Amino acid sequence: MKVAFWPGCVSKGACPELYVSTQAIAEPLGLELHELVSAPCCGAGVLSEQNAELAEALNGLTLAMAEAEGADLMTICSTCQGVLSNHNYQLKNDPARLQKANATISDQGFSYRGTTTVKHLLWMLFEDIGIDRVASAIKRKLTGLKIAPFYGCYILRPVEALGLRERPERKTYLDQLIALLGAEPVEYRGATKCCGFPMLTFNREKALAMGGSHIIEAKEKGADLLVTPCPLCHLNLDAQQPDAARVLKKDIDVPIFHLPQLLGLAFGFEPEQLRLNHHVVPTRGALEKVELKV
Amino acid sequence: MQFTIEVGRYNPEGQYAENAVPGHPFPPPWNASPVRHYQTFNVELPEHAVVLDALIEIREYQDPSLAVRCACRSAICGSCGIWINGHANLACKSKLAEFTKDGKTRVESPPSMPIIRDLVCDMTPFWDKHLAVKPWLQNKLPIPPPDEEYRVPNASMEELIQEVSCISCGVCLMDCESFAVNQEFLGPQALAQAYRYAGDPRDAETKERLGDYSKAGGIWDCTHCFECVQQCPKGVAPLDQILKLRKMAVDAGFTNNPGTRHADAFAESVRDSGRLNELTLLPKSVGFFNIVEQLRTLPGAFNLIRAGKLPPLIHKKIPGVNRIKTIFERVGGRFK
Amino acid sequence: MIIDHDVIVLGAGLAGMRAGLEAAREGANVAIVSKVHPIRSHSSAAQGGINAAIGELDSWESHAFDTIKGSDYLADQDAVEVMCREAPQDIIEFEHMGVIFYRGADGRLGTRAFGGASQARTYFVGDITGQALLVTLYDQILKAGVKVYEEWFATELFMDGGACRGVVALEMIAGELHLLRAKAVIVASGGLGRLYEPSTNALICTGDGYSLAYHAGAPLMDMAMVQYHPTTLAGSGFLMTEAARGEGAYLLNSLGERFMKKYAPNKMELAARDVTSRAEATEIAEGRGIDGNVLLDLRHLGPEVILKKLPQIHEMALDYLDIDMIKKPVPVRPGMHYQMGGIKTDVEGATIIAGLYAAGEVACVSVHGGNRLGANSLLDTIIFGRRSGRAAAGYAKGAPASRGGEDVLRAEQARLQDLMARPYTGETCAGLRLELATMMDEKVGLYRGDAGLHEALDKLQEFRRRYQNVAVGDKGRVFNQALTFVLELGYLLDCGETVIRDAIVRKESRGAHTHVDYPERNDVDWLKHTLLTLRREGEEPEISHVPVTITRWQPEVRTY
Repeated sequence: MKVAFWPGCVSKGACPELYVSTQAIAEPLGLELHELVSAPCCGAGVLSEQNAELAEALNGLTLAMAEAEGADLMTICSTCQGVLSNHNYQLKNDPARLQKANATISDQGFSYRGTTTVKHLLWMLFEDIGIDRVASAIKRKLTGLKIAPFYGCYILRPVEALGLRERPERKTYLDQLIALLGAEPVEYRGATKCCGFPMLTFNREKALAMGGSHIIEAKEKGADLLVTPCPLCHLNLDAQQPDAARVLKKDIDVPIFHLPQLLGLAFGFEPEQLRLNHHVVPTRGALEKVELKV
Repeated sequence: MQFTIEVGRYNPEGQYAENAVPGHPFPPPWNASPVRHYQTFNVELPEHAVVLDALIEIREYQDPSLAVRCACRSAICGSCGIWINGHANLACKSKLAEFTKDGKTRVESPPSMPIIRDLVCDMTPFWDKHLAVKPWLQNKLPIPPPDEEYRVPNASMEELIQEVSCISCGVCLMDCESFAVNQEFLGPQALAQAYRYAGDPRDAETKERLGDYSKAGGIWDCTHCFECVQQCPKGVAPLDQILKLRKMAVDAGFTNNPGTRHADAFAESVRDSGRLNELTLLPKSVGFFNIVEQLRTLPGAFNLIRAGKLPPLIHKKIPGVNRIKTIFERVGGRFK
Repeated sequence: MIIDHDVIVLGAGLAGMRAGLEAAREGANVAIVSKVHPIRSHSSAAQGGINAAIGELDSWESHAFDTIKGSDYLADQDAVEVMCREAPQDIIEFEHMGVIFYRGADGRLGTRAFGGASQARTYFVGDITGQALLVTLYDQILKAGVKVYEEWFATELFMDGGACRGVVALEMIAGELHLLRAKAVIVASGGLGRLYEPSTNALICTGDGYSLAYHAGAPLMDMAMVQYHPTTLAGSGFLMTEAARGEGAYLLNSLGERFMKKYAPNKMELAARDVTSRAEATEIAEGRGIDGNVLLDLRHLGPEVILKKLPQIHEMALDYLDIDMIKKPVPVRPGMHYQMGGIKTDVEGATIIAGLYAAGEVACVSVHGGNRLGANSLLDTIIFGRRSGRAAAGYAKGAPASRGGEDVLRAEQARLQDLMARPYTGETCAGLRLELATMMDEKVGLYRGDAGLHEALDKLQEFRRRYQNVAVGDKGRVFNQALTFVLELGYLLDCGETVIRDAIVRKESRGAHTHVDYPERNDVDWLKHTLLTLRREGEEPEISHVPVTITRWQPEVRTY
């Protein structure tokens, strides 16, 4: 299945393990990744907030690039998913805005007609690839692991642009996937909450307290690890975890996995192939539970 | 149709004997405990009934000691904001059939607010935050004479209907992520009302307001998570109002804060290379001369280095980056 | 505790807060007492708009005439003149406070049409006018720093030497009874909708003020004049604003006819509310209803108008009946909505009891007479709220300090303790209230008759006896709602009795009082108000009359 692959900025920067593991699982899932190498950063909502026209033009360009590829736009980041969905929703429903955005980008060789569908890999697993295909690619069931899903705000809210009114089941895909892979999904309130990343530079302590408290809640409910479809969440939950522990004055030590890494393990890849040895919070403890070493 | 409701009970007095009603046929009230716990009730109601119908039914015919605030039953008085299945909602607008999960619906006083009794929480933090944003018109001079109104375009009044629709139910604050970790945060309702006045063409003190709201606990302490937008029963979309305030504040010159620096650093990086440069984002956001904050972020950097996750020191530009530069030139505004 | 103030306002709705604000501006040490937070007051449920004759194309005289005709000539014309003359400035004052009124193309205040009005003079904010006014007024109260005793439940007026000297109130959170002494008390506690079922009113509209004033010896006037709103949502009884009809909505029967043609050929759907409600009831009784309702059809208004000007009722129909009014008509029926009668006051809000004032729905000046025009109630609250605040503050300046009351407080504490000690007998507060309210709707509703009214009175006495067996289902101190519900039911019984007695006395049909045994309006014998005054506890009230004040408009035949 061909997809216009938008890796986002972070998977090419501070979370290379996400990029690598996505590449790895493409083959078992039958995904043909056509990377949009010239697409700009989505702005993560920061640019949208300060200059809507600018963000619309930038994201319009990305959407036009996908359209030119003739395939759905696949994201691997909840934030990209949210921002692109929002802008796509606006551009599709407001001809004046579409015209404005195109006026800015059209002499650059692209014009958006409004036909692109934006989907996160998580959604594609259920809606396009199909869980039968996913199930058939499983070589190693993750039985014995208790995994807490951490969705990331922007793949859940606001509901309108994300198509959650028509497909409310999207709010449970991560839980379902964990079960499909043979592990036990952990139910906890923080699963749908904010990791604090947007606030990290404004109010560091509170941002870390936010993310840290959700991990602790999952840990208290028995989670061995968290899995998230958003690399920005990953940064706040993994890279900043030691700092969060310091702020909350509690030990945390819960590894955070990317979604494709979890799939990769289930599909039979070795942890090093998925760069699970390059996390800030060691993944060793969780991997040992499925008899894996790193 | 039968519905099962799990109701969070709490009574600070906790004396069973005093609370028993002589001759009452129902078992002694569970409310006789100063520890929060749940009591299960079953009610028989029409299938489109709402959570509040169940609570009123319980209060009227099963356990008269159940305390819950309610008045209008039609989402205009704002009294019945409570936690339903772990999320804040108006009880009178929440259909039991939709909220029933595993055969029951759980209601309780929201843990983020101090509790008074059963489902009645102490809304003082909410009212205090409302007061803190000076939520009244600071009349622009000259005030028209007593027989004449300000002349303003209807569009400017209609624009504020969204904010004036707020019924102060507190649901947004009850579920606010930032408030949960930061009691100083003014919160979605107060800031939405702040915009209601800052955005009113008849208000004189807009600049001063924006300065106040840009301080600690204000607009930059929002974590942008859309919980308030999702939970608000009246469509006020407090986050949207906060973002409007942010834009207004930056345009008015209140740029000496991490929020503005963050946006500037972000935009600069995207303009120059097409992508976000995480390496410079953090230091630039806190301000190069803010040594204290810079030192605080250092351990994070070391952790990244140790794990082999440090982004490349030479940040690559994307092919066709000129396209991006052109876009910025055209519509970049202050990010040009 | 005993706390002293100059002026106490009972109720924090529009009338109460306006009174409090004015008294504060006059320099009085004022405090507002409310059994709910001010923002929860029922004023927020008012939807359609507020009337005033502003601009050269309109005149206060026209507004006054419409109001007087609307009242079926029972309104006191001097009071109506005051209200209509002062309306423009009061509305503009609220605009200066920041209310986001709708504007016309010239940026000036814009209007919509409303029932019984000879021209459009209703100023509005979407269909949330009451809420918009209430929250703005609340913000002004915050700005002025007026003290509010929030969630304090009034149980008795403190009377001393025949004058009203304060209020006894239960602080609900702490569970403590206090005496708030004052030189003047303004009762602004709103209506009594819970006396009827169905009703558009909130659960807190239990007629507290009427009963408190009644027991203090203040006469209650024209209590029989209970308004049924023509368009309340089928089932729940929630209000569907008259503004819908103001924007052009139709009322249809089961044959798809705009039946108002038969009853009010000129004004059609915008006839006075009593006329419209009776028309609907007739259609339904004669078999042209749909499951006991008629239809409110807004489809032809288009989504733009509905979503911009009537968003709240659009949402309500969706939420509670699963009906999108853009696509389908909404079933509605008459439901009890407003009490035109109440505590008799003059145009300054003063009752005959020294130190006791009243304003808002609970008061009867009378500006609404036998039927209230839509959008005149919001006006009534702010005009007479302001006037009574001013008058009470002025009175308080010259009055001696309120003293004593310790024994009153102790007696009240004992009374409540006795109430709490009642054993459970099987009689529930809610069950009894429902029986009372259903009975009132059946026998003292849109249509009244001698036989039914006397049955109602007998039933009421029976309810009073059964009320003695209602136990308080919670013995706690903190936030004891079971106690306040039992007290509220007591207030409702007083209200019920006065409504029924007033209906029995008035042997004619006028405005909202349609007497099947006396179907004509009788200006010869009945162009007067009825007053019910309680001379001694436990006795029947004394009935007296005062003539209607006529200034320039002689009663005419009333057709729409």
